[in-house]
Amino acid sequence: MVTDRQFTRAPRAFGWVDLAVAGLLAALIYALVTVAHEWSGPLQQVPQIHLEARYLPLYTLFSLSRGVIAYGISFLFTMVYGYAMARVAGAERVMLPVLDILQSIPVLGFLPGFVLGLVYLFPHQNIGLEIASVLMIFTGQVWNMTFSFYSSLKSVPPDLVAVARLARMSWWERFFRLDLSFAATGLLWNSMMSMAGGWFFLMVSEAFVLGEHDFRLPGLGSYMSLAIEQGDRRAQLLGVLAMLGMIVFVDQVVWRPLVAWSHKFTDEETPAASGSWLWERVRRSRLLRMGSLLWEFFQRRTRPPAVAPVTRAEAPGGGAVNARRWSKWLLFAVLGLSVLFGAAEYLHLLTALSGSEWLQLLGSTAATFLRVVLAVALASLWTIPVGVMIGRNPRWSHALQPVIQMAASFPAPMIFPVVVGMMLAFGVGLGISSVGLLLLGTQWYILFNVISGSSAIPRELWEVSRLARFSWRQRWQQLILPAIFPSLLTGWITAMGGAWNASIVAEYMKYRGQTLMTTGLGAAISQATARGDFHFLAAAVGIMAATVVAFNRLVWRPLSHRAQTRFTLET
Amino acid sequence: METPLLEVRNVSQSFPAAGGGTVEVLHDINLVIREHEVVAILGPSGCGKSTLMRAIIGLEPPTSGQILYRGQVQVGLNPSMALVFQNFALFPWLTVQQNIAVGLSHLPLTATEREQRVRQVIEAVGLAGSEEAYPKELSGGMKQRVGLARALAVQPEILCMDEPFSALDVLTAETLRNEVTDLYTSKTSPVNTILMVTHSISEGVFMATRLVVMGAHPGGIRAVFDNALPYPRDEHHPDFLALIQKLHALITQAVLPGEPAPTTVAGVGGLPVQSIPGASLSRAIGVLEMLENEGSLELFELTRHAHIELSQLLLVVKAAEMLGWVTTPGGRVEMTVAGRQFLAAGIKTRKQLLNTTLRGLFVFDLIVQALKKSASGEVDEAVILDLLARAFPHEQPAQILRTVVAWARYAELFKYNSIRRVFHGLPLPAASASPNPR
Repeated sequence: MVTDRQFTRAPRAFGWVDLAVAGLLAALIYALVTVAHEWSGPLQQVPQIHLEARYLPLYTLFSLSRGVIAYGISFLFTMVYGYAMARVAGAERVMLPVLDILQSIPVLGFLPGFVLGLVYLFPHQNIGLEIASVLMIFTGQVWNMTFSFYSSLKSVPPDLVAVARLARMSWWERFFRLDLSFAATGLLWNSMMSMAGGWFFLMVSEAFVLGEHDFRLPGLGSYMSLAIEQGDRRAQLLGVLAMLGMIVFVDQVVWRPLVAWSHKFTDEETPAASGSWLWERVRRSRLLRMGSLLWEFFQRRTRPPAVAPVTRAEAPGGGAVNARRWSKWLLFAVLGLSVLFGAAEYLHLLTALSGSEWLQLLGSTAATFLRVVLAVALASLWTIPVGVMIGRNPRWSHALQPVIQMAASFPAPMIFPVVVGMMLAFGVGLGISSVGLLLLGTQWYILFNVISGSSAIPRELWEVSRLARFSWRQRWQQLILPAIFPSLLTGWITAMGGAWNASIVAEYMKYRGQTLMTTGLGAAISQATARGDFHFLAAAVGIMAATVVAFNRLVWRPLSHRAQTRFTLET
Repeated sequence: METPLLEVRNVSQSFPAAGGGTVEVLHDINLVIREHEVVAILGPSGCGKSTLMRAIIGLEPPTSGQILYRGQVQVGLNPSMALVFQNFALFPWLTVQQNIAVGLSHLPLTATEREQRVRQVIEAVGLAGSEEAYPKELSGGMKQRVGLARALAVQPEILCMDEPFSALDVLTAETLRNEVTDLYTSKTSPVNTILMVTHSISEGVFMATRLVVMGAHPGGIRAVFDNALPYPRDEHHPDFLALIQKLHALITQAVLPGEPAPTTVAGVGGLPVQSIPGASLSRAIGVLEMLENEGSLELFELTRHAHIELSQLLLVVKAAEMLGWVTTPGGRVEMTVAGRQFLAAGIKTRKQLLNTTLRGLFVFDLIVQALKKSASGEVDEAVILDLLARAFPHEQPAQILRTVVAWARYAELFKYNSIRRVFHGLPLPAASASPNPR
């Protein structure tokens, strides 16, 4: 290849990558202007969504920008919340359960609050609705990132902390050079998962009915939901392709290079073939060198003015400590009061519900619970054997991992209609086919974890099982299942949480001009939102969050404890 | 008299224990360090050597007592000290250069001065050529050179080293030891005083001008020993060997006194309240195997045969002594009749012998009695931890428990279920030798 030879000859010269990057920059500026134009436009509750193909690039750009902005907010939230949770004394006891509950609230639970509040704030501009949409995507992204950052902060090696203290690093220096750097790898992997999580509810986030109002924002999600509503096969296919294109683009241009770059932050040797073509090009290009020079310059400028060392350094004044303590208490008081107020308001909302409505909700919960468990069980049935097989073979897992990852980040709701249409043709109603939909949405989590679990089984153990002439059954009972149990459990927990959330779009959908729905908590939530019945919605969302949290506490937590104490492979 | 460089005055250090309460790790330490000294702190595992060093440098302020630097009470971190860590503590995401520069960012230096200093220490420790490498690309020895360079870069008056060579293999450790000693004796660096923690006597004798011997539970200084051998020291010189032997005897006396430790309080069953050292039974039996031919050995000899560090060996010998297998008059370890009997016995008899011995030890009796009283035949781990914490305020109850469980399992005294975290009894010691098909 010509380009490659050029690189070997003059590795530092401006190459096509630099040109491409410059072009990308120009495109980015244009995109920003376009997005800003759309945001500042006058509020139209039902803007015209066009199903012609030529509108798709623009819609994809709008959706992508929403996702990116939501990710930015997720990142900031993660930094602040995760840091406070890990580092402010006593905060963790309150903040961890709060995060756990927030995580279990389905996306639609946040919808009325965001939409009504923001449309009220910006009555004449699109921006209120845009922010609401972004915030909904944000709620689909943020939680696992925060958990990851928190657990990384908790496991920063004490020796490195000692070095940072001895070097008298400033708070910022310590945050960037120690905390954030240490958390980088975990944060990156979770960011990838988060982006996928955000896309999952893209259709709901861009097009929703709240009471009498039908809100739609131009974007890929609203395009898809219109296509499904009208039963336009061609448009559906185009939408799926655009989504796939966007995912592949983000993966190749953002995540792969970042993963390759992030090997710097791990203590392990870089695996030989984990590269990204883009990173390989970029790291040899001159732009990067200029970038790093710029970075160094910036760092030098921000470095705190050096102070002469004194023996009595680090001695905090009594006043400062007192003030800090006071502000902490004040913060906790404000937080506590607002939580109390919110809880009281929430309970007040619930009082409007009649006994029969509660009964109906309980029945729906049972139905959805059954579907969720069934979906996870069915998913396990195929993912465990396949995952173990892939994990055992390093070549396969290496080749298949990116493919599976891509499949997993594709928002399953976009292909729900196809599945439902086929099922309907066979005379199967949504009540049963929604189990299949849940499975479509959540099987990947299990598959991922099984693969990573089985690839961690030491080769010696496989050899022992062969030497001991284990039967097929013994091999599964004595070796595979116990060995993958901890990771399988993680997969189950994530899958189940995801399945509860997915029930909202799986049990209720607009399909070819008609509304399909079945008995279930997800359907109850969707329906209540569409009706604008906030009492019912509040109750349904509350029940879902409570069920998820209770299940986590009563079933998953004891099991994880057992898994950690008994089935952890020591290497 | 001139003011000493560093003075440790009545320092005690307590940490919160696992089951609530506190453990006193250091008790009333007094130590003076003068300029141009190389002080090595020696002692068995868990005696608080590293804790003392961290208190001195200011990383963990002591619970009570003071550290004086040039006659002034030290508050916070001492800027005239630098620390070399056992496990290097390098930032994986920074290059060698950047790792070394980490310690310099707070000093009032210009960029050029900073670069110069980094280059200088890189040359001094022999890292030239690896400036742009990341730690993961380096071998253990090179990593520790980076750790050393980072400490030297701040031009400390006192260089602190926390077991700096123990994460390295023998040959690499040997090389680095020599290099550090050269660095100090050749006066090419501003370091004129070194404080190091080590668990190897020969390392201490090779490097230090003064050796401080610490004992555990609670951690305290048991003996101080001056080492006037001239540099460069030769590990095979008769004087060197004689000194090591002498030191072994001293340490044995200081840490393993000839008669059993004096106990003031009697336990529930009238047994002396006595903890057990955290050593494995297999190692203790291994000591018996080594004594089998000669019947007694100098501790010094034993260290050489056993190929384990003195800090570990001391715990093992202490355990063997407690089980009545050996006595330790002076610097010698002598096998007793009981020890020989145990060694000669088969596995079943060994278990029976040990079973009887353990019943006579306080910590085991504690659990046996608790099991007898329990109606269900089970005792919760938390109950025992609580009892242990009360009986031994200077120790980590969970650590004692780990040893107790291991020994009791060997002797089939009682059982422990690590999932449910309970102790439960065996039918009877005699019946416990159940027929085993394999």
